[in-house]
Amino acid sequence: MKRNTLTIVIGAVLVVIFALLLFTFQVRQSEVAVVATFGKPTSNLTEPKLYFKWPWPIQKVYKYDQRVQNFEDKFSQTLTADSSMLLTSVYVGWKISDAGQFLERFPGDPSVSLPNAQSKLEGMLRTAKSAAVGRHPLSDFVNANPQDLKFDEIENEIEQSVQDDLRTNNYGIELEFLGFKKIGLPESVTQTVFARMTSERQVLISLAENTGKSEAQKIQSAADAESAKTIANAQATATRIRAEGEAEAAKTLPIFEQNPDLAVFLLRIDAIKQSLNQRSTLFFDERIPPFDLFRNMPTNAPGQ
Amino acid sequence: MIMSDEHDHHHHGHEAPEALDAGSQALAEALGSSFAIVKIVMVLMVLAFFGSGFFQVGPSEKAVILRFGRPVGEGKSVLLGPGLHWSFPYPIDEVVKIPITEIQKVTSTTGWYFTTPEQELSGEELPGGASLNPAIDGYAITADRNIVHTRATLNYHIDDPIQYIFNFASASNSIQNALNNALLYTAAKFNVDDILTRDVAGFQDAVQGRVTDLTDKENLGIIIDNCQVQSVAPRQLQDVFARVTEAQQNQSKQINDANTYRDKTLLNGAAQASAITIEAATASTNYVKGIQADAKAFTDLLPAFDMNRNLFAQQKLAETMAQVLTNVQDKFFLPQRADGQPRELRLQINREPPEPKPTANP
Repeated sequence: MKRNTLTIVIGAVLVVIFALLLFTFQVRQSEVAVVATFGKPTSNLTEPKLYFKWPWPIQKVYKYDQRVQNFEDKFSQTLTADSSMLLTSVYVGWKISDAGQFLERFPGDPSVSLPNAQSKLEGMLRTAKSAAVGRHPLSDFVNANPQDLKFDEIENEIEQSVQDDLRTNNYGIELEFLGFKKIGLPESVTQTVFARMTSERQVLISLAENTGKSEAQKIQSAADAESAKTIANAQATATRIRAEGEAEAAKTLPIFEQNPDLAVFLLRIDAIKQSLNQRSTLFFDERIPPFDLFRNMPTNAPGQ
Repeated sequence: MIMSDEHDHHHHGHEAPEALDAGSQALAEALGSSFAIVKIVMVLMVLAFFGSGFFQVGPSEKAVILRFGRPVGEGKSVLLGPGLHWSFPYPIDEVVKIPITEIQKVTSTTGWYFTTPEQELSGEELPGGASLNPAIDGYAITADRNIVHTRATLNYHIDDPIQYIFNFASASNSIQNALNNALLYTAAKFNVDDILTRDVAGFQDAVQGRVTDLTDKENLGIIIDNCQVQSVAPRQLQDVFARVTEAQQNQSKQINDANTYRDKTLLNGAAQASAITIEAATASTNYVKGIQADAKAFTDLLPAFDMNRNLFAQQKLAETMAQVLTNVQDKFFLPQRADGQPRELRLQINREPPEPKPTANP
């Protein structure tokens, strides 16, 4: 009996497993599913869990990836509002928001319906993009002033326009985000941009050269002037100091006035001392004291 | 039903062993052994079913178990690392493997001119033509409508794996697009000189800020670690850009030199000025002191002078002459001619002192 119970349990487990495989299916976290009964979509399943179904051919389950898909349009030329030719490419993140609607608008297996949906999306993007770009001048795309830069606004305009289009047509798709991926200029324009850039650089070069020289000169002459002023001030101070000294010295004049003869004599003596101080040559004869002592002494004068 | 049949057969065997012929005995044996085989197969199938729940996660991937479609675990714990794991087999659990490592990295794709990694490594990049072909050469347009090449590498890590894996078909692709967009957007706000030289770090920060904003808004479930941006002038204009840099460096050198000159000149001026005033002060003091000393000497000498002028003068003169004659270098005594006529004297003024002959080196 024991053996038989085990056999029954094992058999039952197998039956349950087969039944599960046949009558149930899972919807994953990343998926959305549509159950079609005899080819007609009857229920839209977004909650990830285990669901029951009737086996084929009664019901068929279409599962879609509900995750955000990346898509970008072709790098294409568009005229801006101020008639500049601009090349742009935008990327979008889109996803299936309503699998039932999606299945109705894009029937068939995902391998067929997804490319169809993408080409639809590309058409919408192209229309919305050229309209939005055509409404803005180039200065809205590139601008050093944050208030004048309309980059985000242009992206939002395109996104809004595509979003509205998707909703009114009930495609079961919605955009999660949109942005510019690439912005460029036509090849011939890049050449003129290069020429302009080159001339701007030349201006910068000569500006740097000239301002360098003139700035340096300014600094140097200011320094010279300041230094000269300092020295002049010092000289003025020196003159004042000397004058004060002389005034001080002049106070001694009454002392010398007691006997001007002696004063003059002393000055002369001093002058002799000063002038015959060093490295001087002195010629004298016997008339000059104290050599007048030599007078009348015998000499060996020529001719004697 | 099957089970009871087996029972019946056993029963029969016991009751009338003789009645059974060889054929039915063989059949019974065959049935018995095939039931045994069926049972073994059933057990094997159940074992195989649960055994199929083992799976391996490789070194550069992670796995997530979905139980009835929902990820098992919360937050970062949903990610199973490398090793052997077990889950219930389908249709209860399902295993999703994701090729991600710890550090994620994306590189921008639309801002750089056409080049190959080999060319970059060897440094033998092709010179740019006269223009840029939009189909192959990427670039960004700056706020002052210049063209620059710029590229970025973004390092990030996954903060919310469920968001990253189950809400995005290719999250890294979305991040790459956001990075491309950030380069375009930031370049559109910056002037070319800021991007290339004046504010390189500011530009990089702004790019990172924009990428962070976009990935937050798009709810990608990542945290950005850092973003490195590299920008260069178009190859066609690199010479002229280099000349600007050189000229600007010269300019700052000239100004630096001028500043050095200024500092030196001002210091010199101040030194001279202070020398002048000090000299004046010293001279003045000395002069005053000298005069005062003279005055004192005068006062001291006055009584002697008054006593005998002539003697005093003679004495003073002789003293002075003695002093002078000691100091004087050359002294010539010219006695008066006998005839009383003046002597003729020829002087060579400013004679050169005789140069010492240099000793010849052997």
